[in-house]
Amino acid sequence: MELEALQEIDPEVKRQGARIVVLTPEIERYTRAMHKKLNLTFDVLTDLHLKVAEQFGLVFTLPDYLRELYKSFGSTLDRFNDEAEYRLPMPARYVIDQEGIIRAADVKADYTIRPEPCESISALKRIAGEKV
Amino acid sequence: MPTLQDRLDEFKRNFESGGPPYNAPREKIELLHRATAELKASGAEERALKVGDHAPSFTLFNQDHVEVSSAELLQQGPLVLSFFRGHS
Repeated sequence: MELEALQEIDPEVKRQGARIVVLTPEIERYTRAMHKKLNLTFDVLTDLHLKVAEQFGLVFTLPDYLRELYKSFGSTLDRFNDEAEYRLPMPARYVIDQEGIIRAADVKADYTIRPEPCESISALKRIAGEKV
Repeated sequence: MPTLQDRLDEFKRNFESGGPPYNAPREKIELLHRATAELKASGAEERALKVGDHAPSFTLFNQDHVEVSSAELLQQGPLVLSFFRGHS
């Protein structure tokens, strides 16, 4: 759902001279299929073994009782993510300016809550406004 | 057009009422709530990078197996960077 919502704002992001980039721990075979299925016009990068997510401080390990639960729903991280330890990134969205400084940050431990994409647009407009 | 959060809330309502396709039983839903509460209580959100921090640079493969570098992208403009957990 989040990817579809990002796709909706992609034209406006590009008008602001910016770019959407999605990082996922999923292996490339799956990102390619997903990219195609959703007709995405931005890149989805494979952050294998969560190396970049770790640097952003987003990685957590699923407790044992959840591993079994996820398996019972047919979701197996070892298959999709090559991730035997069952680690995941917290859902997060960042807006980064051209100096590499984080200008907006939304990190949610509760994965059922996501920041609205329009908030990212507002951050981009603030950055663009400074240049004028 | 419903907002992203509206759509997520609708999914959650269906999931938590045990609706298809997951038909999740009550005890499993409670485990998911417990895990989220524990993660929140662990202070994990506060340990993540924040506004004003310098974003680490990265070079990763995209869906077409082309290498993409954050430094090169930033030369062209700002980035909206989204961390997506995938199928799980």
